This record gives sequence, structure tokens and C-alpha cells, in this order.
Amino acid sequence: MNNLSSLSTYDVLRQHGVDRRDFLRFCVTTAAAMGLEASMVPTVVAAMETKPRIPVIWLHGLECTCCSESFIRSSHPIAQDIILNMISLDYDDTLQAAAGFQVEAIRKKLIKDHPGGYLLAVEGNAPTKDGGVYCTVGGDTFLNVLKETAEHAKAIVAWGSCASNGCVQAAHPNPTGAMPVHKLITDKPIINVPGCPPIAEVMTGVLTYILIFDALPELDRIGRPKMFYGQRIHDKCYRRAFFDAGQFVESWDDDGARKGWCLYKMGCRGPTTYNSCSTFKWNNGVSFPIGSGHGCIGCSEAGFWDNGPFYQRLSNVVVPGIDATPNTIGEVLGAAAVIGVGSHLVSTVVRQNARKIHVDDTPPADSKGE
Amino acid sequence: MAKVIQPFDPKDVVAHPEAYFRRAYVWQVPVRLTHWVNALCVTVLFLTGLYIASPILAPSGEPAHHFVMGRIRQIHFAAGIIFVISFLVRIYWFWAGNNYARSGFPFVWRASWWRDLFRQATDYLKLERGHVHLGHNALGGSAYTFFVIFLGWVQIFTGLALYSETNPAGTLNKLFGWVIPLLGNSYRTHMIHHLVAWAFPIFALLHIYIVTYDSTQYGNGLITSIISGYKFYRQGDIRNDEWLS
Ligand code: HEM
Ligand code: HEM
Ligand code: SF4
Ligand code: SF4
Repeated sequence: MNNLSSLSTYDVLRQHGVDRRDFLRFCVTTAAAMGLEASMVPTVVAAMETKPRIPVIWLHGLECTCCSESFIRSSHPIAQDIILNMISLDYDDTLQAAAGFQVEAIRKKLIKDHPGGYLLAVEGNAPTKDGGVYCTVGGDTFLNVLKETAEHAKAIVAWGSCASNGCVQAAHPNPTGAMPVHKLITDKPIINVPGCPPIAEVMTGVLTYILIFDALPELDRIGRPKMFYGQRIHDKCYRRAFFDAGQFVESWDDDGARKGWCLYKMGCRGPTTYNSCSTFKWNNGVSFPIGSGHGCIGCSEAGFWDNGPFYQRLSNVVVPGIDATPNTIGEVLGAAAVIGVGSHLVSTVVRQNARKIHVDDTPPADSKGE
Repeated sequence: MAKVIQPFDPKDVVAHPEAYFRRAYVWQVPVRLTHWVNALCVTVLFLTGLYIASPILAPSGEPAHHFVMGRIRQIHFAAGIIFVISFLVRIYWFWAGNNYARSGFPFVWRASWWRDLFRQATDYLKLERGHVHLGHNALGGSAYTFFVIFLGWVQIFTGLALYSETNPAGTLNKLFGWVIPLLGNSYRTHMIHHLVAWAFPIFALLHIYIVTYDSTQYGNGLITSIISGYKFYRQGDIRNDEWLS
């Protein structure tokens, strides 16, 4: 297994019977997905041909394995081969054949053999409450496994919303104290690749970039690669013309729904979600939620589970403890203000009539000699 | 009781100064101008903002022929930018203007400010003709500072952050984009912007009621002061602004 790490991606692909034409096609697609210019394609090809693959330890914490599912279904025809071979996936307790003590021994050996040289890919996150007992791997808490493996990693890839922002297990009230990777590990370069799951092309794009340039791609404020999370779904959505026109679906079976109008009023989170779905789409570019008539639920955004109900434009999240939309809260406070002003006005009128006080009661001349 | 209009007698003024109203120039042009620009912008921002959240007009036909939502958003953004400019002009005038331009500031470290706050509140509750100010009273000043200045900043920061999302590589995003992760995410920023929006009509209701009340109760020409700049006072009233300096 270890000598595999020294082979290049191309070497491994050849061993698996992938021909050069398919290989080049993959390089072009990947370069395009990363937004690289055509002139960069030879660099991609050269890197794939010559650079030894990066050893990768892929940990699974509190999660549902949807990131792995997405990854192994990458849209390109020879994806299974390429993706799983592009990196030297030396430890992945879900995908590898070995099991039990043997597997944990491999992880420990990798850490020892490649200190500072392996990439740590984390799928899922670590519960921190009660010493981390809510997720254990091989007899140890995942919290410990994560820290131990992160210590000598070159960099960390946080796969999916779980690892990059917490996802469902960290949703209110977060009973297990689940925390995304960047809150637990602070001394390593971390790249967040959110999404539930992230798009396969995004995942391979990130890995390819690291492989080619031996560095993390440019990240935004919250550690996401700008090339894939630089824009909102809404900004590239093909239904955007309907949004600007003001043509909205009002119910799932109305005329607007049939005509493919904008799903904003059905709760679409496209305007507040950074992801590549409206560009790459899903499943080999077949479609994506909005393409199939369902709004985006914002699966790549921090705290998206707490921003429900998903089918409502305004959610009930603003003030903790008060389960109402901003409009309801505003209307109640507004009504209270109207009542307050109204009663002050009524008391003033009543009181003045009783007292017969008028401002004009005291014209200058009258007050002489007072 | 009918109003008696007296012929003006200068000797009488000297003899009984407390009986006469005097006129003082209080609100300089930038204060009045920014007041009305703000009032207009806030009204437009609130109405267009609510519309953005729950659009109701549904034009039929091809989308290429309509721009309803787009236009309402444009109006919101334009009003937002004008509001920001007017807001900054007013803040500049806080230093550049006369003492009254600074009178709304919450001088929480001065006992006299707290006394004025308490007295003004009880005057309103007791429905009595209270003391008259030339500048803002402490209660009014606190309301302007909290509702318009503080929440105004909240709306400006969240609004510009949301606005900057359309061009994440732009300068505006560099300046205001950090607001979004600070508040959690873009959706939450929308919700906070939306919730805080409600403070403005509530403020406007209280504000317009109170200035009308003051104007009629105190006879100090308060409402017209924000148009003409002049307020009226009687000898003695002016002492009430002492806490200012
Ligand atoms: C018909 C509507 C309005 C009238 C008649 C009115 C009248 C007035 C008056 C008379 C003052 C001076 C009060 C004083 O001496 O303390 C004032 C100040 C102020 N008003 Fe209004 N107002 C109106 C609408 C609004 C609205 C909608 C806003 C919301 C933004 C607003 C914000 C303010 C602020 C911030 C001040 C303090 C002025 C400063 O120091 O710059 N007003 N208004
Ligand atoms: C008193 C000031 C303001 C009020 C009352 C106000 C009100 C609102 C409301 C109610 C919304 C709808 C929020 C939602 O449900 O998504 C909104 C959206 C928005 N506002 Fe404001 N706003 C104010 C100031 C500003 C300013 C200064 C800007 C800066 C340009 C701004 C920019 C925006 C943007 C970009 C949106 C999102 C529009 C969209 O998603 O299509 N707002 N505003
Ligand atoms: S369907 Fe969603 S993402 Fe598309 S334009 Fe409408 S609100 Fe935006
Ligand atoms: S459209 Fe939205 S909810 Fe669906 S996968 Fe993309 S980001 Fe997630």
C-alpha cells in the first residue's frame, strides 16, 4: 500500500486500463471546473503525470457518508477510477477492505511515516460533550482520533457541511456538542467544502488543485474555496429572470409552477446560499433541485437546519425563544405602540377637557401682574 | 377661550419679559435637510423592504417584458444609498453644527442628563405642560440615538453587506462582507435586517405623536421648527438646556 503513494495519478490510471484520451479529457474537464485558463491544461496534465499522489487519511466522524457517496459518483465516466486513484487514499475506514485493529494500525503508521506530508480529509464532525463519547472509532473518541491525526497533517480538507459548519447534528439544541473541524483544530490550514453533500466535481476540483499546485486554493472569509463558493445559487440561477420580473410560484401545483417561475415565495434559499449547483448541477449535470421545481434549502450554509421551515420565505429564527417570523414580531410591537400612543392621546383629551387648559389661555396681556 | 391679539408694546416686553415668547434659530439647514431626507428614505426603505420579502404583484406573460421585483429592489437600494449619505452628513454636522445639533447625544455620564430624562418621562406620563427645550430633551435624544443612529447603523451595515453579495469580489464586499459571517450566515443577516426594519415605523409613530403633542401642549412651534429652523420659548425655558454644555 505504501509504495502506491509514490506513483503518479497517471501511472495508476494506466495500471487500471484508462487510456490517454480519457485521461486528457479528464484533465481538461477538471481544469475548466476549477476556472483555469486553457493554457493551464498542460500544467494539469504534467502534474497528473509526474507528481506522486498525496497520501490521504480520510476520517469519518459524526456523519451520514453522503460526502463519500457524492465523491464516488463523480459525473465523469471514468470517475471511479480517477478520483479514487488521484489521491493515495491510504486510510478510509468506510471504503477500505481492511477492518478493526489492522486499520487503526495503518493510520498510526501513516502518521509516523509521513509527518507533515499527508492530507487529512475529514467527513463529519466531532461531538465534544461528555468527553466526546457520542462518537467513537476503534475504541477511542473521534475527538481524540481527529486531534491525533490532525497534529501531523500538512493540511485539512473539511468535507461537507458537517465538517465545515456543523450541519444537522450541530443544529439547535446540538445535544452532543458537535463542532466543525475549524473550531477544534486551529493550527493547521483548513479548507471548508460545505454542502450536504458537496458536489462531486467540487470535491475532485479541490483535490486536483492541491495536487497540481501543492497549495490550498484561494479561500474566502470562512475558508471556502472561492472558485466554487464565490457566488450564490441565485446569481447563476436560470429562473432568475422570473425573480426580477416578479413572477413567483405560489403553490406547488399552480400555473407558475408549471411555467417554471421563480421559487422564492416557496422558500427557495438560493438568494442566501453560496454553492456551485446552478453552474455544475448534479448527477453528471442532469439537474439540480431548482431545475426539478424544488427550492434550494441552503444545504451548504452554516446553520441551515435552524433556518426552517424550508418552504417559507421568512423563517422563525430571529429571536431565540420566540417562535415567530420578523413580520409577526414587528406587527405585535407595532400594535403595542399604537395602543400606547392611543391611550396617551385619549387620556390627554379627557384630562384637558376636565381641566379646560388651553395653550392660548395665557396670552401675554392676560398674564400682566401675575 | 378665544385668543386675544395684543398690540405690541416694547415697554411691556421690558417690564414683563416672562410673558412673551421669543424666537430662536435652532435647527440649521443640514439638520432640517437630513431630517426630511431620512424620513423619506426610511419610509421608502420600509415599504420596499417588506415588498422584497413578500412580493405580491404577479405580472403575466414573458419575464423579459417585466421588471417588477427588480425595480422595487433598485428603489430600495437607491433609497438605501441616499439614506447612508444623508446619515453621514448628519453625523458630520454633529461636530460642525451648533450646540443643538449635539443635543441628542446621550450624556450618560452627566447626572443632569439623567435628571432631564426622568423629568421628561414623568411630564409625559402626568400629562402636564413640562419644561421646554431648545435642543432635544434627553428622552427624545435617547430615542433618536437608539432608533435612528444605532439601528440605522445596523440597517446600513447589514444592508450594505447584503448588497455586496451580488459582487463578492468587489470593494463593497471587502468593506462590509464580514458582517455576514459575524451574524452567522446570509439568511440570518436577512432576518436581522428584516426584524430591525420594524423599529422604524414604530419609532415614526411614537415620534410623530410626541412632536405633535409637544407642539400643541407647549406652544413652542416644535413641528414647524424642523421646517423653518425656529423654535419659540419663554424666559426661563432656556435654562432647561443647561445640562447640554
Ligand atoms: C411627518 C413626519 C415627521 C415630523 C412632523 C417630524 C418632526 C420632527 C421634529 C419637530 C423634530 C425635532 C424634535 C426635537 O426638537 O427634539 C424631529 C427630529 C427628528 N426626527 Fe422627525 N419628524 C417626522 C418624521 C420622521 C421620521 C419618519 C423619522 C425617521 C427616521 C424621523 C427622525 C427624526 C430624527 C432622527 C430627529 C432628530 C433630528 C436631529 O437631531 O438630526 N422623523 N422630527
Ligand atoms: C431604515 C433602513 C432600512 C430598512 C427599514 C430596510 C428594510 C428592508 C427589508 C424589510 C428587507 C427585506 C429583508 C428580507 O426579508 O429579505 C430589506 C432587504 C434588503 N435591504 Fe434593506 N432596509 C434598510 C436599509 C437598507 C440599506 C441602507 C441598504 C443598503 C443598500 C439595504 C439593502 C438591502 C438589501 C441588499 C436587501 C436584500 C434584497 C434582496 O434580497 O433582494 N437596506 N431591507
Ligand atoms: S428559484 Fe431560487 S435561486 Fe432561482 S431565482 Fe428564484 S429565488 Fe433565486
Ligand atoms: S441547490 Fe441548495 S440545497 Fe440543493 S444541493 Fe445546492 S446548495 Fe444544497
